[in-house]
Amino acid sequence: MDQEKSEICNIKVNGTNFEKVDNEMAKKDDSKEKKKLSKRTLKKEHQKELKKDLDLNDHKISTKELEEKYGTSIIQGLTSTRAAEVLARDGLNVLTPFKDTPKIIKFFKQMVGGFSSLLWAGAILCFIAYVIEFSKDNSVSMDNLYLGVVLIIVVILTGMFAYYQEAKSTNIIASFSKMIPRKALVIRDGEKREIPAEELVVGDIVEIKGGDQIPADIRILDSQGCKVDNSSLTGESEPQTRSCHFTHENPLETKNIGFYSTTCLEGTATGIVINTGDRTIIGRIASLASSVGQEKTPIAIEIEHFVHIVAGVAVSIGIVFFIIAICMKYRVLDAVVFLIGIILANVPEGLVAAVTVSLSLTAKRMAKKNCLVKNLEAVETLGSTSIICSDKTGTLTQNRMTVAHLWFDNQIYRADTSEDQKAQSFDQSSATWASLFNIVTLCNRAEFGAGQENVSIMKKIVIGDASETALLKFSGIITDDVIGKRKRNPKVAEIPFNSVNKFQLSIHETDDPNDKRFLLVMKGAPERILEKCSTIMINGQEQPLDESAREAFQTAYMELGGLGERVLGFCHLYLPEDEFPDTYSFDIETMNFPTSDLCFVGLISLIDPPRSTVPDAVIKCRSAGIKVIMVTGDHPITAKAIARSVGIISANSETVEDIAKRLKIPVEQVNKREAKAAVVSGMELKEMSPEQLDELLKNHSEIVFARTSPQQKLIIVEGCQRQDAIVAVTGDGVNDSPALKKANIGIAMGFAGSDAAKNAADMVLLDDNFSSIVTGIEEGRLIFDNMKKIIAFTLTKNIAELCPFLIFIIAGVPLPIGTIAILFIDLGTDVIPSIALAYEKAESDIMNRKPRHKKKDRLVNHQLALYSYLQIGILQSVGGFFAYFTVYAVQGFRPERLLYLRPFWEDNTFNDLEDSYGQEWTKYQRKYLEWTGYTAYFVAVMVQQIADVIIRKTRINSIFQQGLFRNKYIWVGIASQIIIAVILSCGLGSITALNFTTLRIQYWFVAVPYAIIIWLYDEFRKLLVRQYPGSWWDNNMYY
Amino acid sequence: MVTEKEKKTRGQVLEEWKEFVWNPRTREFMGRTGTSWAFILLFYLVFYAFLTALFTLTMWVMLQTLSDHIPTYQDQLATPGLMIRPKTENLEVLVNLSDSQSWKKHVEILDKFLEPYNDSIQAQKNDVCRPGHYYEQPDNGVLNYPKRACQFNRTQLGDCSGLSDPTHYGYSTGQPCVFIKMNRVINFYAGANQTMNVTCVGKRNEDAQNLGDFAMFPANGNIDLMYYPYYGKKFHVNYTQPLVAVKFMNVTPNVEVNVECRINAVNIATDDERDKFAGRVAFKLRIVKI
Repeated sequence: MDQEKSEICNIKVNGTNFEKVDNEMAKKDDSKEKKKLSKRTLKKEHQKELKKDLDLNDHKISTKELEEKYGTSIIQGLTSTRAAEVLARDGLNVLTPFKDTPKIIKFFKQMVGGFSSLLWAGAILCFIAYVIEFSKDNSVSMDNLYLGVVLIIVVILTGMFAYYQEAKSTNIIASFSKMIPRKALVIRDGEKREIPAEELVVGDIVEIKGGDQIPADIRILDSQGCKVDNSSLTGESEPQTRSCHFTHENPLETKNIGFYSTTCLEGTATGIVINTGDRTIIGRIASLASSVGQEKTPIAIEIEHFVHIVAGVAVSIGIVFFIIAICMKYRVLDAVVFLIGIILANVPEGLVAAVTVSLSLTAKRMAKKNCLVKNLEAVETLGSTSIICSDKTGTLTQNRMTVAHLWFDNQIYRADTSEDQKAQSFDQSSATWASLFNIVTLCNRAEFGAGQENVSIMKKIVIGDASETALLKFSGIITDDVIGKRKRNPKVAEIPFNSVNKFQLSIHETDDPNDKRFLLVMKGAPERILEKCSTIMINGQEQPLDESAREAFQTAYMELGGLGERVLGFCHLYLPEDEFPDTYSFDIETMNFPTSDLCFVGLISLIDPPRSTVPDAVIKCRSAGIKVIMVTGDHPITAKAIARSVGIISANSETVEDIAKRLKIPVEQVNKREAKAAVVSGMELKEMSPEQLDELLKNHSEIVFARTSPQQKLIIVEGCQRQDAIVAVTGDGVNDSPALKKANIGIAMGFAGSDAAKNAADMVLLDDNFSSIVTGIEEGRLIFDNMKKIIAFTLTKNIAELCPFLIFIIAGVPLPIGTIAILFIDLGTDVIPSIALAYEKAESDIMNRKPRHKKKDRLVNHQLALYSYLQIGILQSVGGFFAYFTVYAVQGFRPERLLYLRPFWEDNTFNDLEDSYGQEWTKYQRKYLEWTGYTAYFVAVMVQQIADVIIRKTRINSIFQQGLFRNKYIWVGIASQIIIAVILSCGLGSITALNFTTLRIQYWFVAVPYAIIIWLYDEFRKLLVRQYPGSWWDNNMYY
Repeated sequence: MVTEKEKKTRGQVLEEWKEFVWNPRTREFMGRTGTSWAFILLFYLVFYAFLTALFTLTMWVMLQTLSDHIPTYQDQLATPGLMIRPKTENLEVLVNLSDSQSWKKHVEILDKFLEPYNDSIQAQKNDVCRPGHYYEQPDNGVLNYPKRACQFNRTQLGDCSGLSDPTHYGYSTGQPCVFIKMNRVINFYAGANQTMNVTCVGKRNEDAQNLGDFAMFPANGNIDLMYYPYYGKKFHVNYTQPLVAVKFMNVTPNVEVNVECRINAVNIATDDERDKFAGRVAFKLRIVKI
């Protein structure tokens, strides 16, 4: 009962929270730029309206006034015409779905975002160059036109690919619509009729019965035992009674309002519709959730950062060389063509695809581990999580009451609370236990559901409340034959539990044929049970209940209560045969049997025990530097007990209260800094200023928020985010959705979660288990590491693609590699190896390091960029140039001949260009040689990229520590590189448009020494990084 | 999923940039202190020195494998190309009779081009060879160096020799000479032991009409086998490649005439779709007469 009361308090808090959220949002809006002024005022107005609407007074006014207000009649209902009018005014009774960006816009966004814009610029430059050339001379080659078209195709294809991947993974239907009841029974024109619920209007008189979903917000006019499940709205799991009485100022708490989308569990009710569609309470929460804006994920920010770096490099090099080209008296048009080449070489076209694929691979892997990721980028966000705000019930705990401790014979026994409870190891030989077991089995109204003979006890569905279920299953574990035992001890009378008595009593015949006495068994609140007892059973013997026995009871009760467990007392009495013969008729109304001077048998305490995997998971989180905060609606004592048992509050840390108790000083005198742990109740939280909350979050490493409302979660999340933390939040109720949206990663529960929560979340935990989050984090961290490798791998060859253009402009040599070949590297040979890197195993225990700091530990840091660009990239370019010079030299053009040869080389009328040996070449013969050069350079880059993919397997460990063959996909990738290159060179060598030629076998191996050097150099780098951690080398060479 | 997006004002961004470029607190320039810069520059100096050495070494090894007088492969040179002299812009031989400057430059080019063919020089440097036969000079185990070249005397070009020619190869009278030469390819036995010659035609019918008569020197446009094979610049020191001169006698003035000349030799294909200059050459002739 106590619990219920404070739930109500929480809801009060909820009411104010809405305003708080609104204020916050308004504040945030304020800080936005002036441009958005008009938008802001609009939004503000919308929020004001939201707030105003909460000042609902329909629950206060009388039915007469209601009738007047809505122009209806309680007996006759609305007239059809009036209903039609109102429908026309208010619209359908449906929730507007989340304003999803239209698909086409999403698609276009994919196509203009990131590198695509650079490629578009390249394509446009191509077309401009072509048009200008064409206008001068219409026999000009179509190369630029082709290239422009190819670029556009590339942009569209990668855009489509990214869109497809995203669409596939976000294919979770907006679930609010599913919550709408289809039909409603309504009185109109004086007759009952069933109409589609979306046609309901305010003023309609509706009838609901058990099992229905309430079709709109209604004011109850009349009810018979109506109980509703408001859990999806308020998080309270207890059924709430609904009546026609106005019980509270706050519309959320008064009993005479039924809320849209909640379920009527039992009874019937008649009500008048007071709000429909988006104006319902749930509609407002939904719109609140959608107005908590969706912004960029950490990985999106990282990728944007990376795109900025690359685009910056591309554009600045492009412009510098454009100017150089102009200064070197190249034609402007040529300079533009160079610019295109430079942009193209710099843009890692295949990267977007590689990143998306590796994210979705991880998402798949996580789905296997029960983390269903809705938003691809959430995969990595989870990895950078630094604070988890977890629910208690169901997530940390098993979400079922279980017998935890027993007290009889003056001794506390532990029961097994693991998932299967197989190992009940306490002493079962005592006669007291036999009596206690008798009471537990008999004084229990819960029953197993029908048709479950072959289901194991723990999995059987039980009809009955949580405690009774726990006791039934407990006795089911002890004996296989609970049902038989009950049958042998038939029940003759029973008083079910109610909140006034606080006990439950039943009277049974016994299964002992020699004993004709009736057995009275009783269980209930321990203090109430004890009051009714005069004796206590010790070792099977009834002994008088003296002071010492009472004290023992009190100690045990306090101890078990202190563990946060729900304690029940058990007693019995054999009714004397002479007073209560076989034929005695028991009357529960008059209570014609004794309910005092009973014999106290024992205590059993129940708890929702932690899941057995959770403590390990919490330890893992701790070593991974992730703070776990428990946020629960439960009582602080229970919360703290569970927190202790799962390790959220570690064994040796104390709260302020603990210290006070230990030092026997008042709480106020305790130095708050000394307490590592803190248990904060919702009421305290309500009183806190944001600064105090910040202080709390900063100073305590182990925090439990108890008695909090789901709305307060939002405040906690915001508090954590102010600490620059990346916050993961679990939630299941509808009103968790703002917090889920606000969190960096919202995690909804697969079983317990409402659709709204799942909708607002980024991830759904299929097994509701906290430890799944931890496996998710592990995967997220791994993918971040692997993404670094992928990007490092991809960036490297950009320099090898870029240098040819630079040398071409500066030294006037024939072009070493063409734009088409570049595209074939980026989108051909390199794609599969880069994806294969996503399968790389972690190098060390990634759960042993701190979560990454979102501002300091960047995906692409300067070490990565410098190492890839200026070291391996340059090495690759040198290798490529070596291959290029080799191919030219063996055909007759020695390197020195190539310098500044370009004007002659590219002159179409110069058909007798002399080589180093005095031979003369026509233009086409030179062109063909140039293509052979492209092919050789392409192959050289490919060969060196094989070395690159191997070195990128690890960032710090030696390749041999990591194992060359552990990741088989790498070899698939390497094979793909070679096969694609062979096909291009041999098979497609005859297609001149692609500019590939068949290369002599030996020139495939020209770059091999460079590949080996790359690998040796990287091993050397890693060796020094390992040997000298913290050194200059480590700081500059470890990416 | 939401992260706080901190909108920075332009001033803040500028401030951050300033601090990045020069941070007076930590004395960092572009995020690095002086020593850090020194280290990193030193590192890259060493690294690039190493790369240069590596590149030089591999290039040196590669160049060692090459022969001095013959390229390792001649993959693209199966068919020698043809080319004209004077080589003009867009291969258009423009002769404006009223503007001597328009053709003077052609004449200058030709004078210079033909100078090595002067009989005196040829007699001094080159051998008289047996016509109709290849002039082979095999090494036979001993490097036969330098190799001798056969004489091609300027006088063989007859009216086009330009020797004591007041018409300047016919350019001043609108009867220009155009010289056809075949690209040198080392060890190429042009003609495969059979005679070969160069023929010219107008490309289309109207071109053929406008082209009028022309004379070829040496007669018939013949190219003798004795000029082959070519042994390369380094060995075949004074090699002068054979020429065929075409003198266009009465080209229709003021129209553009497309001329195509090709070599008729057994082992030289002239129908390559892609290489328009393989065994042939196309050029434009335009005589402007007022």
